Amino acid sequence: MKQHRLCTDCEHKPDILNLPISGALKSEWTTTETRRQFLGRSGKVLGWAALASLLGDAAAPRILRADNGKATQPSPAQNDLLLPHFRPKATRAIYLFMSGGPSQVDMLDYKPNLAALYNKDIPDSVRGNQQLTGMTAGQAHFPIAPSHWAFKRYGQSGTWVSDLLPYTAQMVDDLTIIKSTNTDAINHEPAIMLMNTGNMNAGKPCLGSWLAYGLGSMNDNLPTFMVLQTKTNPKENNQPVSSRLWSSGFLSSEYSGVGLRSGGDPVLYLVDPQGVDRQTRRNMLDAVEKINRETLAEVGDPETNARITQYEMAFRMQASVPELTDLSEEPQSTWDLYGPDAREPGTFAYNCLLARRMAERGVRFVQVYKRGWDTHDNVTGVLPIICQEIDRACYALVTDLKRRGLLDDTLVIWAGEFGRTVYSQGGLTPKNYGRDHHPRCFTTWMVGGGVRPGITYGETDDFSYNIVKDPVTVRDFNASVLHCLGIHHDKFVFKFQGLDQRLTGPAPASIVQGILT
Amino acid sequence: MLVGAAIASAALLLLPFMIRLDGKPHAEWLQFVGRFHPLLIHIPIGLLVLVPVLELAGYYRHTLHEAAKFVLLLAVPFCFLTSVLGYMLAYGAGDTGTTVTRHMWGAIALSVLVCWSAVFRLQSSADRLPRFYAPLLGSALLALFWTAHQGGSLTHGSDYLTRYMPLPLKRFFGHAAIVPVADSFYARRIHPILDARCVGCHGESKTQGGLHLDSYEALMRGGKDGVVIVPGNPEKSMLIVRVSLPSTDKRFMPAEGRPPLKPEEIAVLKAWIRQGASSSDIAVSGAPALANTSDDAPPEPVGDYSKLMGEIEQMRYTQGAKLVPVSNNPGDGLVLETVDVAANFGDAQLAQLANFASYIVEADLDRTGVTDASFDTLSRFTRLRALHLAGTAVTGAGLAKLAPLSELRYLNLSETRVTSSALQPLKTMPNLKHIYLFNTPAQPATKTAEIHTPDGTQHE
Repeated sequence: MKQHRLCTDCEHKPDILNLPISGALKSEWTTTETRRQFLGRSGKVLGWAALASLLGDAAAPRILRADNGKATQPSPAQNDLLLPHFRPKATRAIYLFMSGGPSQVDMLDYKPNLAALYNKDIPDSVRGNQQLTGMTAGQAHFPIAPSHWAFKRYGQSGTWVSDLLPYTAQMVDDLTIIKSTNTDAINHEPAIMLMNTGNMNAGKPCLGSWLAYGLGSMNDNLPTFMVLQTKTNPKENNQPVSSRLWSSGFLSSEYSGVGLRSGGDPVLYLVDPQGVDRQTRRNMLDAVEKINRETLAEVGDPETNARITQYEMAFRMQASVPELTDLSEEPQSTWDLYGPDAREPGTFAYNCLLARRMAERGVRFVQVYKRGWDTHDNVTGVLPIICQEIDRACYALVTDLKRRGLLDDTLVIWAGEFGRTVYSQGGLTPKNYGRDHHPRCFTTWMVGGGVRPGITYGETDDFSYNIVKDPVTVRDFNASVLHCLGIHHDKFVFKFQGLDQRLTGPAPASIVQGILT
Repeated sequence: MLVGAAIASAALLLLPFMIRLDGKPHAEWLQFVGRFHPLLIHIPIGLLVLVPVLELAGYYRHTLHEAAKFVLLLAVPFCFLTSVLGYMLAYGAGDTGTTVTRHMWGAIALSVLVCWSAVFRLQSSADRLPRFYAPLLGSALLALFWTAHQGGSLTHGSDYLTRYMPLPLKRFFGHAAIVPVADSFYARRIHPILDARCVGCHGESKTQGGLHLDSYEALMRGGKDGVVIVPGNPEKSMLIVRVSLPSTDKRFMPAEGRPPLKPEEIAVLKAWIRQGASSSDIAVSGAPALANTSDDAPPEPVGDYSKLMGEIEQMRYTQGAKLVPVSNNPGDGLVLETVDVAANFGDAQLAQLANFASYIVEADLDRTGVTDASFDTLSRFTRLRALHLAGTAVTGAGLAKLAPLSELRYLNLSETRVTSSALQPLKTMPNLKHIYLFNTPAQPATKTAEIHTPDGTQHE
């Protein structure tokens, strides 16, 4: 590093890459050094090298040269992080994120006695001293709005599911339904950040990034963590999702989610321009990489490394993504299962089908976003539409994974960021009502490797307002997900800003034994 | 006063002999009144613990000595009343057992000692405490702690304080759990249910109705009301009858508001009884599998492959196939991943992995170029638990070569051309419970579900 001209320290210029230390150590140094550490050090060269060897905890990304994905120099073993901590039940996860807060009262949390309480105010004893949101603070009454839809029992487990989810009802014997998920966040952005990153404030890595960092990739030709967004329906109240939700936070940015576009080409400019063939592009990338490495040596910013890796990944995706999105080989049984929606890119059904294909191809973590659940008003108008958009696709995804033998080691998660109130927001009529955000209890489900099929975990009170049995906080939820993938949430840490950062945050979290096999 | 104390003590000492605890439940009003024993108990405990504090503090502040006398006096009737209530509870409910007996005698001893401490204390007029007061009070307090501990064990179980003790501490105190060793269905499935749900009231420390449920012999022997298990006939077995009653029924078990048995637990018990309630049967047909299925038992660790790590790395660079550890624990084995190089991976490449065969527990060969010829190599993967062959050119000829793979649990042949006849040899493999045949000639016909959506259309 060039010494500043005003600096009076007689440092000789350090050049790690020219030191007589092993290649693996050099590669480790380049990736684990943070800019601050680099600039903050008053620099004894040998000290750096020693420190680099002490920082063996961080996984060095596999900077493989691309010819058939073979590495030409040995890279430090993925298992530097010693993950998975124990034999995992699932090796992949698909997270179906229902952004906006699905209404548990109308979908999965059956409360038959509410019908008799139509239009009666919710008792103060139930509401307690919960702070009202700005949206409902002006209301004089909080009338109970029973579900507009009937519930029926399904399957051997006798689970109650509303008429809004006829397809989900068919698979209740496979699902682990958690009725007692709860959160502290009242509004979308903090709640959605909490679900994804374990913290209400932005800046922490999300679940997918933690998994990419910890477990690495199974398929070097596809990103480890992919995000699919569903096209929004203008009839629905769509809350924003931003790329913060699949950001890698303080982890290296190569662990952030790679989003496919929800319309048109899944990835822009996949095809090389005319006159540029694959080898030419390879040569170009090699040259760019050489320059980037010189920058890395000079400046020491590990993000340069991430950039190099991402260029490599992009090169490989040019070949792998067209194959991934080419649905022409899918048998007719796929279309019979998913329905006609699945042929249209950008729909939830299409995204579920893609998610299954990604799982087949060894993508570690796929997250599918479906917005529009934020039914502050017009529940009877909107909820059937959005349920119809997802219901068959969820069933199709789980059934497809199951019949192809992939469900054994894939964990499928279905969750929103909070639930909805039992009382009506705005006017309550026999035909319509609205529901406000409700953090105290909401319903989520999981299926696949590591979770017990056909059970309902946790219970809410008669008003679907408070939890009476087995609460599952968001950090417990995330801890359980990590557990299914063979990771001890407590032991999986990354040192940053003087803290042992973990997905489940600093507060104590525990896995939910009752849902795990 | 002396006379009063003597009569009361004598009465309490003779009570167990006059009205014996015979293990049979008696009048309900006795149980009703007796149930206030755990409520009332806090008063004498609080008072008695306060007495030595006040006596000691009395050396600094004289008035507290008077207070101590008052408190002690107050404690006496409460002690007696509590003991009587406790006796009514035990007699009414028909409790017997070592802990009950110990608790009872402890309480009697305690009450008598307290009574006589009070007598001695009253006789002191000057500041100095009478001679035998301190030892008497001390013994009373010791009796109190002992009795209270027995009482706690009665209510919460004798392992209440030690159950969550950190292991090093547990070993120090010699409380390390004794795990049933036998592999029998009883030991693996029945005993844990009874241990968790029943032994609190039907075990060593407390034996309601004279029934022990903590060992096979005791379970089959039954209790005061007769046998609870009729081998071969779950519907007539009292154990099943009582736990299957409506939870509001008086005779419902588990009693005392404890959570009812889960349906799968009752099903397991029924299946076991139906098969004859044996202590040696390993498997019981019709018993619902545990949620973890038969993959319950952790598999044996694979051998030590640390010396082969160099070769494994080399294999990755030459061929591209990866051998990835299942977990941080090397004994969990290796997974063969070929997704990166699937197009170029065939029987020949598979054969090159023969050196590592006995460490590979999972082989992912989906959409590779392997054919039926690969079964030869695969038959050497003796520790294989999962085999993925989806989308390959295998037809199933020679699947019999996989028959010796005794640990194989999962075989995915989706989107291949295997036929049902080719699958016959697999039927001999006991652990192979998950075979996937999606989109193959051998795929079993599935019932398509009729699903009614809100807008009235039906889909499959």
